[in-house]
Order: sequence, then structure tokens, then C-alpha cells
Amino acid sequence: MNQAPDSSVTKPTKLAAQIKDLTKHYVLKSETVRALRGISFDVPEGDYVAIMGPSGSGKSTLLNLLGCLDRPTAGNYVLGTDDVAQMTDDQLSEVRASRIGFVFQSYNLIAQLSVVENIEVPLYYMGQLNAKSRERSTQLATMVGLGERLGHRPPQLSGGQQQRVAIARSLVNDPYFILADEATGNLDSVTTEEILALFQRLNDEGRTIIMVTHEDEVSAHAKRVIWLRDGEIQSDEPVTERKVFTAEQIDAISKNAEVRH
Amino acid sequence: MRLFRTWKLGLKSLLLHPMRSALTVLGIFIGVASVIWLLAIGEGISREAQKQIEDLGAENIIVRSVKPPDTSSGNFSDIVDFGVTRAEAEMIRLTVPTLKGVVPIRELPQSFIYNGNKNAKPVDGRLVGCTPEYMEITRLVVDRGHFLTHRELDGKLSVCVISAVLANRLFPSEDPIGKQMYLPEKQEYFSIVGVLKERSATAAIGGSLAAQDFSLDVYIPITTMYQRMGDREVKRTGGSFSINSFQLSQITLQVAEVDDVPRTAKLIEATLRANSNGKERQDIAVVVPFELLEQARTTRLMFMMFMGLIAAISLIVGGIGIMNIMLATVTERTREIGIRRALGGKRSDITWQFLVETISLSVVGGLTGVLGGLLCPWAVSLARWSVAEFAPSFYQNLPEVAKIMSPQIVPESIPIAFFISVIVGVVFGIYPAIRAAKMDPIEALRHE
Repeated sequence: MNQAPDSSVTKPTKLAAQIKDLTKHYVLKSETVRALRGISFDVPEGDYVAIMGPSGSGKSTLLNLLGCLDRPTAGNYVLGTDDVAQMTDDQLSEVRASRIGFVFQSYNLIAQLSVVENIEVPLYYMGQLNAKSRERSTQLATMVGLGERLGHRPPQLSGGQQQRVAIARSLVNDPYFILADEATGNLDSVTTEEILALFQRLNDEGRTIIMVTHEDEVSAHAKRVIWLRDGEIQSDEPVTERKVFTAEQIDAISKNAEVRH
Repeated sequence: MRLFRTWKLGLKSLLLHPMRSALTVLGIFIGVASVIWLLAIGEGISREAQKQIEDLGAENIIVRSVKPPDTSSGNFSDIVDFGVTRAEAEMIRLTVPTLKGVVPIRELPQSFIYNGNKNAKPVDGRLVGCTPEYMEITRLVVDRGHFLTHRELDGKLSVCVISAVLANRLFPSEDPIGKQMYLPEKQEYFSIVGVLKERSATAAIGGSLAAQDFSLDVYIPITTMYQRMGDREVKRTGGSFSINSFQLSQITLQVAEVDDVPRTAKLIEATLRANSNGKERQDIAVVVPFELLEQARTTRLMFMMFMGLIAAISLIVGGIGIMNIMLATVTERTREIGIRRALGGKRSDITWQFLVETISLSVVGGLTGVLGGLLCPWAVSLARWSVAEFAPSFYQNLPEVAKIMSPQIVPESIPIAFFISVIVGVVFGIYPAIRAAKMDPIEALRHE
């Protein structure tokens, strides 16, 4: 643990997600692919986890399960107080709308919607669209530095800006955790820094972040790295030499980002 | 609120491809407009037909004399004797209680000349011997002078009433009233006592296909006709000539109550047909406009169904257009579907999203189609005018009904066409929408 020892002892940490013996088999024509072979780990609130592993290790499968886009063959996945492993399709949709904040590699914004409308999409599916939610979406857009571009459409924005809209969207439903899939994969190194600084700021504010990546440079910013290999956890360790942005750096990067775009 | 958002979103997506959406709408537009157009034109034509039948008088029964097929061996002395008789007319008048009036009629093709201008070319027309009731029964209207009177009938006077068209031809510059008319074939003179107003033709009756035309008629008392001309008509054709003998061309019977028409008609037909030595008569035809009217109504229904079928086919074609476009749209927007599913959209949300788009397309098509349909009467008269203007010879050859028919918009066709278009939108939109909703979100997100 890289945190002060006393805090972890005195406060029993609440769990954002709890995974137990999670197994996923895909049945192809003639064979069964055992993508995940029973993995278990907990994600306490406020954690910043990087999931890594070579291709074919089960990373994507785990991501889909964590994102409630798929159901496990066996095992439990407790999100808050509910086991989502056996939920129906509609229930999973509700869980995705209300408890998970997605950030994708290719931003995945809806082209015909404006910045603020894109941020609102999860609320729309939660049935909570109203004047107050519009205010919240606007605040989030401002928070990620796009307060001046509320009416812009995604094609009018740069990659970094689009990803920041996506991050704002992932926060709008106040999720249990942000699930980032190679969130910096399409970005240059400067913009990558920006996004990572934003993630750190959110984590410092108490947000739980789970990110899937294959870049050591990116995972070095997390607090903890889970290594997968052949559908099993190879290692699950805290990051010993974590790269941390100082408050001044975060401010500077944010300002630079404003100037650059 | 939510539905409104969905709808707004749908419109937004549609406006991303304005051309594509417009073409899809056009399919439905044509479908809906053609429902209204075809039904309006069908209704216009059948109204015209019904009007012609109604002009015969729904309360009338018409007994026509029909010349039997020529069985003689060309012997000139054969006299063909046929048709209803004065005695039969009298018998019917005296015995059938449901009748209000009995009008015997005898018609002869004749040519006419104005006595004061005998060098002029004779005008071919029809000489009609009848009674004063004829005017009421055939709905003739006197323009000037008077129609035949009972005094003239009983006195067997040589007076006549002429139709408007004939009056104009014979007397282009003079007042026909009081003038003498000359029949060169019969060598008879009649003095004109009345001129009628113009009257349109009625439906064909008897064996003939031609419509009854009143435009070149000359009416004289039937008593006068019998006294002066007898029952025989000698017709010269080429070298030979034939002699027809008939007392009456037609008896028009007016029934007091329309409800009594069918059974009165049956009674009269049965009585007349059995009238001659056990063998069924073939020289008469009983025409019941009331029944024709019923027939016309059935024909109209079938016609409308046929028109409706054609229109329905065009709507289905429009619907297939919608489906085609929506399937393409769904494939094109696979990724968007994936995003929406990942962000919490349920299958039903996705279904609705696409269904709202197809319904919007079909509603817009339906509304514009209704507007286009309402333009039908105007468009038809424009088309008729331009044909008459730019292709007069073609216009001349058009059937009569095409020249006078005016489309009657069937009020029911508007809501029907509109709702069918909405239903078409739903029916043909539901498959693409369900296909969109059934996509696996993971696959959809991976789609490029």
C-alpha cells in the first residue's frame, strides 16, 4: 500500500466492485474457448486499477463483464450490493446507465448530438432528463474544459477534446467506477498526459477508476496493476513507483490544454 | 417528455440525410395520394354513371319493343310484326294498381325541315309520339311555349314540341314558336308549340349500347302519329325493302312507390311475356332503372375495391422503400446502436428510436400525400384543359365520361389513406428496428 497505513486500518473501505471466481467460456463451432478461468479481486472505492496483459489474456472479456455488456458463464460480480452476474438484459442496461461510466478508446460520441447532449445520454436512458440535469451536464463540460463548446458536435472537436467529453459523459450518472478501455490509445503523448492528469484529478477527488491498457507508461499512473495471462490473474500488485502529477502540473496541463485547442 | 426527446432525436437523424429521407417520404406520398386519387376518380366515374341511370327515373319501368332477329328468306312481302301494343299498354294501365302513370311512346327516325326554308338540308332526328305525361317522366323542361296537352292529344292535332339543339339548327335566326315544320319522308306538316331546354343523355336501355339522346327529338301526340302514319314502316335498303309493323316503341310505367318497383316489374314482365300462345315473347325487353341502379352500386363497389387494391399496392411499394432505407440506416448506425446500448439503452429504447424514425417518415409522407390527394379535382381539370388545348384530336377521341367526369373525393379515403400509411410505416419499420435492438452491444461497438 502506498497510502498512509493508519487510514487503511481504521476505515473499513467500501467496495465499488467485487469479483469472485469469474469464468467466461465462449462456445465456438468445435471447441470451447475458456477466456476467463475463474478470477477474483476486489475494487475498493477510490481505487485506481490498471488491467494489463498480452492479447488473448482475457482483458477484453473481463472488460465486457465489468462493463455489464456480457454475462459470465460462472462466478459472481457484485456491484454495490447487487450481483449482476445473472441479471436480465434490461436490468443490465439499467446498471450500465446508472452505475458505470464508460470511456472508450475511440471516444464513441454520437455524431449528431452536441457536446452537452452527448454528456446527457446516460441520463436520458435513466429517465432523469430535466432542467437540473442539463445544468449538471454543463458543469461537467466546464470541468473538463469544454464549457465554451457546449453546442459543438464531435466532428468539430479534436481527439483530446472528444475524449474529455466522453469523460464528462462517464461522470454524469455519478457511477460506481469509471471503466476506461485504452482511453489514451488514439491520442498523442501530450494529449495522453492531459487525459491521465484528468483521471488523476478525478481519482484524487474520490472517483474509482478501472482502466484496461497495454502501455506501461499509462499503467504507471495507476495505484494498482492487475496482470492477466491465459484467463487467469498472474499478479495483482500496488504500483511501487507510481507516477503522480503534482497539483501544479495538473493546473499547468489543464491550462496548456485550453491554450492548445 | 421522453417520447418528445426520442422523436426530436429521430428527426435529427433523418435530417442528416435529407435526400434519402425525402425519397423515402416520396414513396409514401405517392401511395397515399394515389389512394385518394384513384378512389376520387372511381367515385367520379360511378357517380356519372349513376346520374345517367337516375335520369331514367328510379321509379320507372320501361318496356321496349325489340325487333326480333331477321328470320325471313329475303322475301320482300314479309311483314315483321313485333313489340308491345296499345292494347297491352291500356291493359297495364287498367289492371296494375301500383302504377301512377303509363306513357306509350312510338319513336321513328325522321328528317326535318323548316317549312319556310325548304331548300335547306334536312336535319336527321327522332320523331317521338307520346302523351303529355312524357315530359314529367323523362324530366324534360320546357324553355318556351308549352309541352303537348291533353286537348292536343285528344284532338289529334298536328302540333309538335322540339328540342333545343334541333331548334337551333332549324331556326338559327328565327323564333320557332308558331312556325311550321315539314317531314319530307311522311309529307306531313306540324306546327311548333314549344321548345325544350337542353338535356343530357341518359344511360343506354333496351338492347342498344348507345346512350339515350334527347338532343334531336321532335314530340307529337301519339294519337296524331297513329292517325297520320299508322303502324307500318317501310325501309328501303339497297334494292330490297322491308316492312316493320309495331304499335309502340316503348311503354314507360311510373310506379307510385319506389319500393314497389321490383315486384311490379316482375308482374309486368311475366304478364307480357306469357301474352302470346304459350311461347315466351322475345320482342320485348323490360328495363328497370331501379335494378340498373342497384347493379351500378355493386359495380361501383367492385370498382372501388379494384382501385383500392391498386393504391394499396403502391403503398406497399412505398413501405418496402421505407424498410430498405431503414435496413441500410441500421447497418450504417451499428456503432451508434452499440454506444447507446453501452450507455444504458435497453432493447426497447433502440426499437423505439428506429420505429419513431420510420413513423415520422410515413406520417410526413401521409400528410403530404393527403394534401396531394386533395389537389385531385384541380389536377384533373388542368390535365383535361391541357389535353384539349394541345392535343385536340386526341381529346375528341376520349370517351365521353373522361370529358365530363369530375373526381369526387371520398371523405373516408383521407383518414383511411393516412392511417394505412402510418401502419405501413410501423409494419415495415418494425423489422429493421428489432434487428437494430437485437444487436450484441459488444459486436456493435467493434463495428467500424
